[in-house]
Amino acid sequence: MKAQHLVWIRRISQGFFLLLFLFLLIESRLPQDAFVDYSLVFSSELDLKINYPVRFFFQLDPLVWLSSLVSGHQLIKGFWWALGLLIMTLFLGRIFCGFICPLGTIHHVVGWFKPALKGEHMVRANEKTPSQRVKYFLLITVLVGAVIGLNVAGLMDPISLLFRSLALAVFPAVAGGLQELFEVMAKSDLKALNLVGHGGEVVAATLFGFGFKAYRTAWFIGLIFLLILFLNRIRPRFWCRVLCPLGALLGICSRFSILRLEKDQERCTDCKLCTKTCQGAASPRPGQDWESAECLVCFNCFSSCPEHALSFHLTWSSPKLNKGPDMGRRAVLAGLLAGISLPLLGRLDGQVHKVADPRLIRPPGSLPEKDFLTLCQRCGQCMKVCPANVINPTLTEAGMAGFWTPHLIMTQGYCEYTCTLCGNVCPTGAIREFSVKEKIEGPIKIGSVYIDRGRCLPWSGNGPCIVCEEHCPTSPKAIYFHKEMVTGPDGKRQSVQLPYVDLKTCVGCGICEYKCPVKGRPAIRTISAGESRSLENQILL
Amino acid sequence: MDMNNRITRRESLQKLLTISGTVALSAFSGWPLTRLASVRAETPPRRFVVEALGQTAGYSVKELTRETFNAAGGMTRFVSKGDVVAIKPNISWARRPDLAATTNPLVLEGVIELCYEAGAKKVRIVDNTINDARRCFAITGAGMVAKNTNADLVLPRSSLMKQMKINGHRLDVWPVFVPLVEADKLINLPVAKHHGLTTLTLGIKNWIGGVGGRRHALHQDIHQSIVDLAQFFKPTVTLIDATRIMIKHGPSGGSPSDLAVKNTLILSDDPVAADALATGLFGYSPEDLDFIRLGKKWGLGTDDLQQLHHKKVIV
Repeated sequence: MKAQHLVWIRRISQGFFLLLFLFLLIESRLPQDAFVDYSLVFSSELDLKINYPVRFFFQLDPLVWLSSLVSGHQLIKGFWWALGLLIMTLFLGRIFCGFICPLGTIHHVVGWFKPALKGEHMVRANEKTPSQRVKYFLLITVLVGAVIGLNVAGLMDPISLLFRSLALAVFPAVAGGLQELFEVMAKSDLKALNLVGHGGEVVAATLFGFGFKAYRTAWFIGLIFLLILFLNRIRPRFWCRVLCPLGALLGICSRFSILRLEKDQERCTDCKLCTKTCQGAASPRPGQDWESAECLVCFNCFSSCPEHALSFHLTWSSPKLNKGPDMGRRAVLAGLLAGISLPLLGRLDGQVHKVADPRLIRPPGSLPEKDFLTLCQRCGQCMKVCPANVINPTLTEAGMAGFWTPHLIMTQGYCEYTCTLCGNVCPTGAIREFSVKEKIEGPIKIGSVYIDRGRCLPWSGNGPCIVCEEHCPTSPKAIYFHKEMVTGPDGKRQSVQLPYVDLKTCVGCGICEYKCPVKGRPAIRTISAGESRSLENQILL
Repeated sequence: MDMNNRITRRESLQKLLTISGTVALSAFSGWPLTRLASVRAETPPRRFVVEALGQTAGYSVKELTRETFNAAGGMTRFVSKGDVVAIKPNISWARRPDLAATTNPLVLEGVIELCYEAGAKKVRIVDNTINDARRCFAITGAGMVAKNTNADLVLPRSSLMKQMKINGHRLDVWPVFVPLVEADKLINLPVAKHHGLTTLTLGIKNWIGGVGGRRHALHQDIHQSIVDLAQFFKPTVTLIDATRIMIKHGPSGGSPSDLAVKNTLILSDDPVAADALATGLFGYSPEDLDFIRLGKKWGLGTDDLQQLHHKKVIV
């Protein structure tokens, strides 16, 4: 096959998988078809499920599979895809990086579009450097940490990183900007602007949904994403070469690859076009040792060589193994050390062994904290899918070990009583799949609520209010009244209904806190105590 | 959706627009802050109230709906050819229809069909829901009704809320869900339920779902607030769904044991009379409810059923 054809096949494949990734990201939401079949509506508690395989890219990701296997001892659903990819890597090298990885594709495009470096500078930037060992350090850190019980793979895993960045930062930011623009237009008195405003909102909503979304620390997630895109100006695909732990894992596997770069020293005129276009800094030039572990299998060198001195071949014959990955002993040792330290340090802030933070309210169906941290990828799937926008990344609530894991902020939303989507999308089962029935009849409880009598309107004599009781979705209601006399600010005695909480029936959904008319700090608040996932964090006997 | 017939891009775009009901809304731009008093002030001299009861086993709820309107002179009395009709059901809770926290979808479907038969150009289902709107649409059956009848489901959102002058005794300016005031005719279609603060939630209370903003603060003076809203919205007609009523743990309930079957529909062009008549289903009398007393006081209507054409229908 001609080299140019290979490059085009690669580009088509990259485009396809990037679009597929974006499509599945957009479809990670409440099904848009509100026209559900009547018979279902009448017969049972309806589970509104997502019809698309939105977990696909996570299932395809060997790092997600491997880290959850060694850490949580779970074989995640659909891990066959990852296994298949590893086997493919054994034969074809880092073909995932060159042909599939959506984050790689974005870097590729950013690096290709107006490259910062020209000519000789680009050649130099594409020479292999020792900094490329950093990714092995990160991989070893992640895997060793995972074995000891803290899974931080998702912080660096390209699929998790890209999903988190797009779903929590880029999309909401773009959507918020558009929404503000459309609302200004919709308020306009000019009919044409008005039409564009309303119409634009509806069209944009097919991608972004209606309204404004908010995610805690989203600015930071977005900033990191911009930063790693910017790194492409220093070296093309900086992330893939230097930082990506998945790339490191695939690089190690490519040792056995039978897809090999063959160099013809005789024909080489040392024009260095191959190095200039090399995406992985894999030393493609004749005279250098080709680094199969660094090669992103983009076929650029093959295609750019004017003398046909380079070609890729499937060869079983000698050498039996490719050149091993250049990890460096320091990277390995440092990785081991960091991998051992992280989980141990991560437990020192007490979340696992001492006391649960009352603000760490995990989504329904979440595993016990210790198990949760062995599986959660911090990818943001649950946060993206939540129709109430209540699931947010943690900052300090879960301690250092649980940074960016999901928790519920009830002043920003609440857990819909019969919604099961977060368990429906979690790629690793950190939030297990659960049914509506389990939420209604037990055992699932998210937490519990308490009333702040000093702020509560009826309790403090500031007037009647029943909003918390009215919204309480359980049956019987977890919030109930006693009619009593209270003294108002004017000194007059008045009869009001005072709300009380029945901790036995409360599931901690937080709708009372969200809807409480006492703004700022609501008069009824949700805490994690009482969550069904913990044996210790309980109130009642 | 029928996947065998391919739809064109134009069709799909149109479908998209109708789902959120913005095609016609775009025509609405500068609604005057104070509404023209003359438009709806003229009331017919003698109002009516129809009480319909489904008695035969296995009666059709849609048939009962039709007969209820027929007894009042047919839908054509309220809806004219070419009208845009907004229907305000109570679909605020993402609860199954058999839990009766929301308007019976069969009643909703019946009313929409009657509107279209009377020549309505467009019927919109409009409610600012409490739970996530899409989940409410799907689970209450309103989405299915919209699909069956080709009515618009309007998704509540910030761009459709507009500060308006309520001119009430308690409320001055409040964000209003504009499709309700923009329609030619407005049908109030509440479900009769127990309520923790107002004792009952019927037609007048249903207007909480017609506004946005800090509406939970309205509970601090709920009776006057909802009467203000009812006077602001001035529905063409009110149809109270009491096919099954929630007698305790309202307004959200959650268990079939909270319910009683009444097989009743109450239709009136007098918002107070409709609510007054519905109180009897719960064993209350109109005087027990402050919002009925206030509605009477401020001239929203009467609870004296003797002053109205009182008709009974049995199916």
